[in-house]
Amino acid sequence: MGAIRISGVTKSFGEFQALSSISLEVAQGEFVTLLGPSGCGKTTLLKIISGFIEPTDGQIEIGGENVTRLPPEQRDTALCFQSYALFPHLTVRENLEFGLRQKKLGRDEIASRVRDVSTKLELAAQMDKLPNQLSGGQQQRVSLGRALVMRPSVILFDEPLSNLDAKLRDQVRIEIRRIQKDYDLTAIYVTHDQAEALAMSDRVVVLNQGRAEQIDTPERLYAAPATSFVADFIGSANVMEGTVLSADGAGLCTVETPIGVLEAKDAGVPPGAIRRLSWRPEKAQIGEPGLTATVTHRAFQGHFTDLTVDTGGTLYRVQTGRDDIREGDGITFALRPADIVFLEAVG
Amino acid sequence: MTRARLNKILMSLVIGAAFLWLLIPFTMAVLWSLVDPSEPWTADQLLPPAMSFYRWTDMWQNSSLKPALVTSYALAPTAAVLTLCLALPTAYALGRYEFPGRELAKTLCLLPLVVPAFITAIFFSSILFQLGLAGNRFAAIVFAHAVLFLPYAIRILTVSFEQVRQDHIDAARDLGATPLARFRVAFVPALKPGISATLLIVFIQSIEEFAIAFIIGSPDVVTIPTLLYSALGQDFVRPNAAVLSLILVVPNVFLMLILERLMKSANPALSSGKG
Repeated sequence: MGAIRISGVTKSFGEFQALSSISLEVAQGEFVTLLGPSGCGKTTLLKIISGFIEPTDGQIEIGGENVTRLPPEQRDTALCFQSYALFPHLTVRENLEFGLRQKKLGRDEIASRVRDVSTKLELAAQMDKLPNQLSGGQQQRVSLGRALVMRPSVILFDEPLSNLDAKLRDQVRIEIRRIQKDYDLTAIYVTHDQAEALAMSDRVVVLNQGRAEQIDTPERLYAAPATSFVADFIGSANVMEGTVLSADGAGLCTVETPIGVLEAKDAGVPPGAIRRLSWRPEKAQIGEPGLTATVTHRAFQGHFTDLTVDTGGTLYRVQTGRDDIREGDGITFALRPADIVFLEAVG
Repeated sequence: MTRARLNKILMSLVIGAAFLWLLIPFTMAVLWSLVDPSEPWTADQLLPPAMSFYRWTDMWQNSSLKPALVTSYALAPTAAVLTLCLALPTAYALGRYEFPGRELAKTLCLLPLVVPAFITAIFFSSILFQLGLAGNRFAAIVFAHAVLFLPYAIRILTVSFEQVRQDHIDAARDLGATPLARFRVAFVPALKPGISATLLIVFIQSIEEFAIAFIIGSPDVVTIPTLLYSALGQDFVRPNAAVLSLILVVPNVFLMLILERLMKSANPALSSGKG
């Protein structure tokens, strides 16, 4: 039995369909990320899980109990706000104790839980300070701590890293994951940052315009995106259209594409079908014979170089470890059959 | 360098002028209140020829100053509390709810301020008489003051309610807070400066208000301003008026200073939680 079961959750605001029939099951201890661009419905879904928004249709179960109509104060969830939402007139200790006092726990229990969390989050020295005396990273930790002391069945994160600078973000990201594992917490994490989603999650739900495009592990999302939206959103793939010509029956098929006839792994697509295809910029085998292209733009990134190449009038992105290719150079490259992924049908 | 110096000089000039602007009337009031009745202070003399505290003791012993003080200082806090209570629901609606015409409603709430107090006072008194509420004059003045100063209170409190952060309310709910606990942790800290400011402003306005206190209250209820206006009006005695105006103004100066502090303490860093 999953810790959370979301079945057919739909939300519309008047004419606007914010979420269309989302279903998802999250196992105990699993870290699931809701990923998508702004306006995709990820925050709406998080608010439905936490109870701030009631779904138009569908059902939310937490630990086997139907909580769809339960207000947030009665749900066993704890939310980490993007803005931290620390109470500014309360000290760190009072902020951490707030939820436990609402639960009317005993004084010893409150003290021991707060001590435990403050040690784990290295907040012991900050306990008597007010939130505005803390750095952004410390405020972030207090916000996390305030959720942790509640020992919720589910901890929810609403873009918790977006107010931190890049370096701190990496650090806090690792810390959140470590603590989530330490406490064996079930976590749902909202972000628009695909790198964050790939690095932290057990599974990722890619949302687009209120629909779940794909629910999968980060590795699968990257290697086998289901739609061109996912392919493009996760690690910016090259997407093109192709018509399947024939299959050889031995696991390979030929596809006609704007850059020429390519060999791809047979995905059971019947000949004549027009499908979108994607391939990753770093999968281009530069120097191999096959396709010819002209480099129109070059951006050196350190451990690799980002190239924009013109192949028959269409621009594609390729990446290479070589740093000796200049703008205007003619190059050849090849794509291996396994690196070409079939996406949705065109039309 | 020269620019900075010029800046400094101009700054001190402005401060000096403002200081004189405040100091001269004050000094004049103090001097006039000290004029001894034995010798009049004529225009050809820089200082009063004879000075004593006669006017102060005389006013204290032989006028209705004592009951006026009691009335005024009972009236003002009562009016302040009543105004606050009447303004809170409207301010809550204006500050927390999105509805069509909200900006218009906010402006309409301020509109009564453009009507001169005397006009309000005359028509208000007639309404009170028609409603038969003029029996208790003190209560009638309290009510009238509350209505008159409601626009200030609504305006200030609306801003306070707008400053309550939705994420604080949500965080409190998420942590299991009851409506009362939510109010205490998310609303009260943001509202506190606005509530104090409202109480003080209405207090000061009510202490100084003349038109309503005069039209509804006289002759039974005497406040400091009605006493002051009579000292300036029917029996024009400038030294007595000076005594009264000082009694009226000095506490208000201190209250204004407190108000200033309160406004400062309402700093956004505290309510936003970010330094």
